[in-house]
Amino acid sequence: MKRGLLNPTAPVVEELDTAGLDDFDSLVRQHRPRIFRFLIASLRDRDAAENLTQDCFVRAYKARDQFRGRSSLSTWLMHIAANLVRDHETNSRLKFWKRRLRSDLDLTEISDWIPDRQKSPEALALAKEQVDTIWRVAASLSERQRTVFLLRFVEDMDLLEIAAVTGLKEGTVKAHLFRGVQAVRLGLERRR
Amino acid sequence: MNQHLSGEQISKCLIGDGTPQETNHITQCAVCSAEIASLGTSLSQFRGTVRQWSDYADYGAGFPQLSAARSLYRGNETTAGISSVLIHVTAVALLLFVGTFKPVQKAVNVFIPLFAPDLERNQAKPKPEQSKGGGGSFQKLAEKKGELAKVAPRQFTPPIRTVDDPKLSVTPTILAPELPNISAQNYGDPLGRIGIPSTGNGIGVGIGPGKGPGVGPGNGGGFGGSAYKIGGGVSAPVPVYRPEPEYSEEARKAKWQGAVMLSLVVDENGVPQEIKVIRSLGMGLDQKAIEAVQKWRFRPGLKDGKAVPVFANIEVNFRLL
Repeated sequence: MKRGLLNPTAPVVEELDTAGLDDFDSLVRQHRPRIFRFLIASLRDRDAAENLTQDCFVRAYKARDQFRGRSSLSTWLMHIAANLVRDHETNSRLKFWKRRLRSDLDLTEISDWIPDRQKSPEALALAKEQVDTIWRVAASLSERQRTVFLLRFVEDMDLLEIAAVTGLKEGTVKAHLFRGVQAVRLGLERRR
Repeated sequence: MNQHLSGEQISKCLIGDGTPQETNHITQCAVCSAEIASLGTSLSQFRGTVRQWSDYADYGAGFPQLSAARSLYRGNETTAGISSVLIHVTAVALLLFVGTFKPVQKAVNVFIPLFAPDLERNQAKPKPEQSKGGGGSFQKLAEKKGELAKVAPRQFTPPIRTVDDPKLSVTPTILAPELPNISAQNYGDPLGRIGIPSTGNGIGVGIGPGKGPGVGPGNGGGFGGSAYKIGGGVSAPVPVYRPEPEYSEEARKAKWQGAVMLSLVVDENGVPQEIKVIRSLGMGLDQKAIEAVQKWRFRPGLKDGKAVPVFANIEVNFRLL
């Protein structure tokens, strides 16, 4: 698998790496949508995702001296975001209140956001069903599997980048990803 | 070779972990390659949906949220918190303490009348109306010289002679600003040419070649061409939902960046109409920009508190992260 083919954003970001940390405002503007997307897809809670996005950049700002440029800036930020998701999930003390205060968008309606609306009604209904199934299966995955799955199939990252983001070995990433894809495939087959 | 791949092998190939034999089989076997393609399509639909959904949910985007990060406090946060609490408690205690003094209590009880300032004098006068509009009534001939129908705020009867002897006659009206008029036997354009009486070959209930209840070649009410322009009592439409445009595959590969300028009319319901490219970028990005803007929704422009169609120009930026 070639780097860069799957992730066209990576080379451009790498060029910006040196200037990125000096101009923190534009760094936030550039990377915020991606971080927010990953967080909201992982947590399915808009408020929590907003908070953690903010946290992610605050952490990055505080730790900006420790960034050695070994990975690309976007990978580094995603690494922080993935850690935040893990902390958030394991923090069971707040689980009750999280459930009470959850301000999620109606998640059953995610399939209303299918991009191409010029499809025929049948194709649209089929696509909706498939997206709903994948969304539900993704929710049932473990935190690690879900993170890996979302990084691969929503953020378009390749295995090496995912390994860098999650701090796992490439083989472990493959195993998690395999389980995720397998679950999705079975879910879709059951639908048919 | 004839044996199709199992589900697990297909999953492995999809994540790029298939053996060379399995990969080879996929290139030759139509059934297995179709299976992989269908799974890939579902996953790419999922990707598109999640991206679209997150764009919608991200109403915080665009705000420079972290600009305050530069002034992040570097000292001990616990000490800072405690001192903040102490300062507030002291301030409130001081206020209560001051309130126990007699002179202060007396001063508080003194009645001070307040007057509302006269704001009307300082308010800017509205600019003359710049709205445009048009009329027409499906007639064969272009509008001819004639008397302009009465200008009214609301139109009940258009200036077309359809009923010869009405039981209840209502004076025909148009929606337009006060315009120069002449006195004539028939309705028409006072600036038009003399000929067989006609209110024009447009669509609608006004006068002229346009569409709608006004006068002239445009759409809607008023005089002249098309939708209203911003200014002169017409407020600008505000986008309320704006999904990001997708990149075309071609432009992504070429790392093509830039901006597409679009002109459009935001109708009364806040839906963009008549989208045209003013400044093109090429590589299929113009089409993607139009597709994205078609999904945008606006709070429509207002004139006298009523939603009206308004012209707008929009720049759609394409940047690779």
